[in-house]
Amino acid sequence: MGSMGLVGGAAAAQIGLADDNSFLPPNVPAWTKSLGPGVLTNPYGQPSRFEANVQRRSVEWLTADRIASISFTPLANLKGIVTPSGLVFERYHAGVPEIDPAQHRLMIHGMVERPITLTMDDLMRFPSTSQIRFLECPANGGMEWRGAQMEGVQFTHGMLSCCEWTGVMLSTLLEEVGVDKRAAWILAEGADGSHMSRSVPMGKALDDAMIVYAQNGEMLRPEQGYPVRLINPGWEGNTCVKWLRRLEIGDKPWHHREETSKYTDLMADGTAREFTYVQECNSVITGPSPEKPMKGKGKYWVEGLAWSGNGKVKHVDVSFDGGINWREARFTSVVLPKSLTRFGLELDWDGSPLMLQSRAVDETGYVQPTYTQLRAARGTNSIYHKNAIHTWKINPDGSVQNVQIT
Amino acid sequence: MSRLLSALLLSCLAASALAERAGYYGYGKPAMPEEIAGWDIDVRPDGEGLPEGGGSVEDGESLYEEKCAECHGSFGEAVGRYPALAGGEGSLTDDRPHRTVGSYWPYVSTLWDYIHRAMPYTQPESLTDDEVYAITAYVLYLNEVVEDDFVLDRETFKDVVLPNAGNFIRDARPDTANTRCMKNCKNPASIEITSIVETKPAEETRIEVASAAPVGKATYDQACAMCHVSGLGGAPVLGDAAVWTARSARGTSVLIANAISGYQGEQGYMPPKGGFAALTDEAVEAAVEYMLEMSQ
Repeated sequence: MGSMGLVGGAAAAQIGLADDNSFLPPNVPAWTKSLGPGVLTNPYGQPSRFEANVQRRSVEWLTADRIASISFTPLANLKGIVTPSGLVFERYHAGVPEIDPAQHRLMIHGMVERPITLTMDDLMRFPSTSQIRFLECPANGGMEWRGAQMEGVQFTHGMLSCCEWTGVMLSTLLEEVGVDKRAAWILAEGADGSHMSRSVPMGKALDDAMIVYAQNGEMLRPEQGYPVRLINPGWEGNTCVKWLRRLEIGDKPWHHREETSKYTDLMADGTAREFTYVQECNSVITGPSPEKPMKGKGKYWVEGLAWSGNGKVKHVDVSFDGGINWREARFTSVVLPKSLTRFGLELDWDGSPLMLQSRAVDETGYVQPTYTQLRAARGTNSIYHKNAIHTWKINPDGSVQNVQIT
Repeated sequence: MSRLLSALLLSCLAASALAERAGYYGYGKPAMPEEIAGWDIDVRPDGEGLPEGGGSVEDGESLYEEKCAECHGSFGEAVGRYPALAGGEGSLTDDRPHRTVGSYWPYVSTLWDYIHRAMPYTQPESLTDDEVYAITAYVLYLNEVVEDDFVLDRETFKDVVLPNAGNFIRDARPDTANTRCMKNCKNPASIEITSIVETKPAEETRIEVASAAPVGKATYDQACAMCHVSGLGGAPVLGDAAVWTARSARGTSVLIANAISGYQGEQGYMPPKGGFAALTDEAVEAAVEYMLEMSQ
């Protein structure tokens, strides 16, 4: 392939130099008059280098270092409802362990008839299932409890993703080991340096929890728990323990650090809610957004994402005037339970300032709350589960700003 | 589900017989008690999981100073953005609550369990059970929960109650009741901007299409920066020319060898390859050269 590769390389170099209109009609661009690289130039393909700007980003002041930290999904750049595996937000408590799948074991023990250890090959022999489900950190938007603070939708809502997850239902594994009838809780524990651990009620485990080894058709990315993780659909991402090594069946919750000191919701009266698992109905407009400003008067397709940990999204309404009047948007994706759902509607913009909002309703009838309602219920110090109606201010020059309004 | 229920039913009738039998699929191997013992590290509020042994506040003080104070401060007050462990009593209803072991955590077991499973930060699961008891006792002492002559073990554990135990309640959601109003839902005059973000998003600064970062910098960012940005663990800070010049006087090859194999110096401890055992020697070498270059 040597000589063909050289031809392709030369063409690529030329493309990089195009900085005027010489490639536009009636001229013909260089890539149309040459050969490109052949097969297997990238045995595992990458996005176009012109998409290099689409990447996860972090907020340096949020955490002490990058080992126990979080990065954000670039929501403004995503299409449809599936998040590419390499753009799923990251959350680590001790960095990413590099696990050899041949040396990895999943141990299931405790109040069971038959404690077992499973290899990855064992796990992949069980009947498999694939489900598209969103995954959201409960701290998503948590920096905005007191007021608008983050400059773009990547940072206001980007602890959010949605993948097709493939694995075995946890209920199948529980049948296999024979659970004691007094058992009520399961401890899930990771093989990373933090040994991340969460208590999960038996009801969720038997309902729709999955032990997954693949996402979007490929094996899990290391960042997402390779070779195996727990997925609790619709529940806070922290419970979906990555690099899963152990499931212990017990009769009481363990009250570990990530379900007491962290991931509890402090109320204004000083009490704190614990085991606040569900990610309630939420939505956000991803374009226009600060990352996707308006470019002059005319017709626009306003679009965004809605989701609910309690089932399917039923309606999404959009307001252009800060919540005085609303119009129902239409769904432009499939509508699945506990999945991201894409909505959109047309806007004919005359250049005047707008206050753009979206409001989702799920199939339980729950309506996404306002900031006023949310703060009245919980105060401003609960960090987690902020799902208030979000506002983008559209300025006459087309720029978009994150604001909060009464 | 139905298979599980029938299995549960059967287990009542013939538990001992079932225990002999493999599961429906029969995959995997029985987990042996000694295998479980190596991994079953969890501790519950009722004390289940606590091992034999114990440790005193007195023993905990020197251990804490050596292994914990670097990040959490000598009095549990925290260094930088690492978590504070003490203080904040009575602050939970304040405008800026201060959540610590003493002011917020409900259970002593959580502290023991977390120190044991995840601390010290760069060397998790390296402490002996007695050391975990001692450090736990000392953190309780820093929070004025126990006296300075306290010894923590499985028995005394039962007597220690954290101040905020009992203030945790179950999830009360849904706790808002918005309605789906479509027209004239509020008075236009009542709309006021309460906060606004003036800065532009990161995407406005377009990222240049460039080749990957050199190996040295990439390795530094991944494996070395955690300690060498802040000086954590006595690490020489990147860009501190005086400190680095003194070190490079011993020869670059010595620095590289120490970085690969680990090194106990007067100021601190360098774990082999910074604790990232998967790094190649070449990557570590490139990282050391990058750090020297950035610290001239």
